[in-house]
Amino acid sequence: MLTLTSVTKRYGDTVALDNVSLRIAPGEFFGLLGPNGAGKTTLMSLVAGLRPADAGDIALAGQSLAASAATGRGQLGLVPQTIALYLDLTAEENLRLFGGLQGLRGDELSARVEEAFTAAQLADRRHARVKTFSGGMQRRLNLVAATLHHPKLLLCDEPTVGVDPQSRNAIFEYLQRLNREGTTVIYSTHYMEEAERLCSRIGIIDHGKILALGSLDELLTRLPFEDEIAFPATAATEPLRAPLAAQGELLATNGTLRFRPRAGYPLSAFFALTESLGLSPRLFASQRPTLENLFLHLTGRNLRE
Amino acid sequence: MRLVLLLLRKSLLGFWRAKAAVAITFLVPIVLIYLFGHVFGLYRKDTGPTGIPIAVVNASPDPAATQLIDALKAEKAFRIRTVTKLADGTTRPLTEADARAGLKNNDYRFAVILPADFLSAERFGLRVKFLSNPRNEIEAQTVNGILQKTIFSNVPQLLGQSLRQSARHLIGEENLTKFNRALANAYADYFNFDREETFRRLDSADFGFGDLKHLPSAKPPPADPNLRRLDTAPATTTTTAAAEKNTNDVFSKIVKIDNEQVAGKQVANPMAARMVGGYAIMFLLMAVSGSASTLFEEKSTGIFHRLLSSPVRPGHILWARFLFGILLGLVQTSVLFLAGHLFFGLEIFRHAVALLAVSLSAAAACSSFGMLIAAIAPSAAAANGLSTLVVISMSAIGGAWFPVSFMPEYIQSISRCTIVYWAVEGFTDVLWAGQSLFEVMPRIGMLLAITAGVMAVALWRFRKGKLFD
Ligand SMILES: Nc1ncnc2c1ncn2[C@@H]1O[C@H](COP(=O)(O)OP(=O)(O)OP(=O)(O)O)[C@@H](O)[C@H]1O
Ligand SMILES: [Mg+2]
Repeated sequence: MLTLTSVTKRYGDTVALDNVSLRIAPGEFFGLLGPNGAGKTTLMSLVAGLRPADAGDIALAGQSLAASAATGRGQLGLVPQTIALYLDLTAEENLRLFGGLQGLRGDELSARVEEAFTAAQLADRRHARVKTFSGGMQRRLNLVAATLHHPKLLLCDEPTVGVDPQSRNAIFEYLQRLNREGTTVIYSTHYMEEAERLCSRIGIIDHGKILALGSLDELLTRLPFEDEIAFPATAATEPLRAPLAAQGELLATNGTLRFRPRAGYPLSAFFALTESLGLSPRLFASQRPTLENLFLHLTGRNLRE
Repeated sequence: MRLVLLLLRKSLLGFWRAKAAVAITFLVPIVLIYLFGHVFGLYRKDTGPTGIPIAVVNASPDPAATQLIDALKAEKAFRIRTVTKLADGTTRPLTEADARAGLKNNDYRFAVILPADFLSAERFGLRVKFLSNPRNEIEAQTVNGILQKTIFSNVPQLLGQSLRQSARHLIGEENLTKFNRALANAYADYFNFDREETFRRLDSADFGFGDLKHLPSAKPPPADPNLRRLDTAPATTTTTAAAEKNTNDVFSKIVKIDNEQVAGKQVANPMAARMVGGYAIMFLLMAVSGSASTLFEEKSTGIFHRLLSSPVRPGHILWARFLFGILLGLVQTSVLFLAGHLFFGLEIFRHAVALLAVSLSAAAACSSFGMLIAAIAPSAAAANGLSTLVVISMSAIGGAWFPVSFMPEYIQSISRCTIVYWAVEGFTDVLWAGQSLFEVMPRIGMLLAITAGVMAVALWRFRKGKLFD
């Protein structure tokens, strides 16, 4: 679907994308996870053809972007990070305009506008001007304005900032439905929960470089144990003894078990084991590994400072 | 094309929704034109100010003074006060001291004193003291002008009497008669006046110029084509115009008044034609220069990113904006000319086609100007600053505010490089000179050529500019 080969983009002295290579298959729900200034928006804008790359090549559906400047565009949808709507127009006028610009008209246009209103839960506000909307409502409209033409590739640049949990769920379900129906999605965020929940594959990006790439599980297996994990020696934890002893050192002191894993044993494997036995994570003096831990591990920084 | 039209429709809709923009584009120019009309006295029924309070003190025993005061009272620009109210309710004539006190008190801002030696045999002319406490220079000059006009146009015989008295005093009765006879002959020879009638009038010091003009032997005013363009050629006309060269200042004042009347009769409201045309083009420029900031706003909200990731190309956005500018400009000028018609009786329907054609080409030129600003400015703020600067200076130099012919020669040659100049010329050609569509073609051609040139530069610069970055 989309292939980036050694793509570099600079703004003056700032290297926004540094030799990025990436391949996204049709039907993927790809998450781009990174902190502020990582290069997420830049990557999106290059893929959308808004800016040329300084080096490297981007191919969309097998065609290089540079060569086919206009041809691939009808297949693309971009949800900008900003509220890119006409605030003086009503919600419906906005949707009709953007749908029309994508080549929709007549009944088809009307049907897609209805669908978008349903997904954004804004049907009752369709005749209100966008500037009278709350921030979250504008966000929702901002998203569905890019999906009217059911693009083959949908680029969502942090589309849920400021959206309440319920509306967020509605948006997720809509995106997942589009994805099931064949839309490839690239979804940038700095919320790990979103990436964990939505994405079939995740790229962690920082300072213009892709640091890690893979499914959630694949990424979490990369997290090594730092020290040891202590947990109470009870009947419930008894079944852990044998498998853990095989993976490292297990010491028992005063009713407490301490597990020191062998080098390379991933934390995620540990938690996969405890979960399979139905043990609560609260028993263990360590958290279930998250992308946050992974990011900290990869960069020495927190994802959100 | 469909994309351009969709974007154009969006712009129109958005513009209409932004009531402040509508007000600034239409209401403000109309109000300003209305106000400027008042300042310049362009109204059909009412020319100039009315009811300016003026105190008049008469210290002269001469009946001519009373005559002058009656004339001043007849002038509707003034509200004449000659008496002051006393505490017991009775009134008495104003004295100079009263007038000065009244001026200080702001009861009135002007006072005319006719001193005891208002008319004197010792010298020629009237002596009038003019006291003022004006709020501004323009007001003082206006009042001064109307006072002079009143004196010169309503009571010329005062001057005649003065002249005759001084002449008799200086050269004696016999010589004066001889002189008047010779003068009458000269008038008769040069201007075809009636010999006896002229002498009789000169001798009795009755300088009834208004009458003199209508003597059967006087030539009818020639149809002078220069009249149509007071700005490009000095108006010269009728018998009095010829006299202008030979006579002194007093006469030229009278001549000047005559000129205004004659011009006014030939063209319905000439000042209005120029003024509305000039202001229309300035407001047009201001309206379309908003293009630049709108484009930058759409850029900063990310709308361009949304549009450009769809099948929309920068060209679509720019052409839609250009067309929007033309439409907006066309509607705006139409509204302003309509206002000019309602306020000042501007004859717009007689030349509707030519006027529409000039408006259209002017709107196109102005719209291309807006595009150029957007193309070269690095930001919305810079675009606003730049367009304000250029619009103001172009309006001033191009003749939107006052005729180009008032300016130094070297500036006049710069004027020809401005959109404003060609548009104002086009508008005045149609509204003032009543030219047909065919006759104003050169102006229209010039405006369209400017449009093409400016658009070419703008489109070229857009590719290098920051707008679609
Ligand atoms: N138009 C621009 N001109 C100059 N530098 C830019 C421009 N856009 C982005 N940058 C720089 O490029 C780098 C990457 O920016 P980018 O917007 O892609 O980050 P991001 O991952 O989208 O961040 P955020 O989470 O804050 O949206 C940053 O250092 C930023 O300062
Ligand atoms: Mg971003």
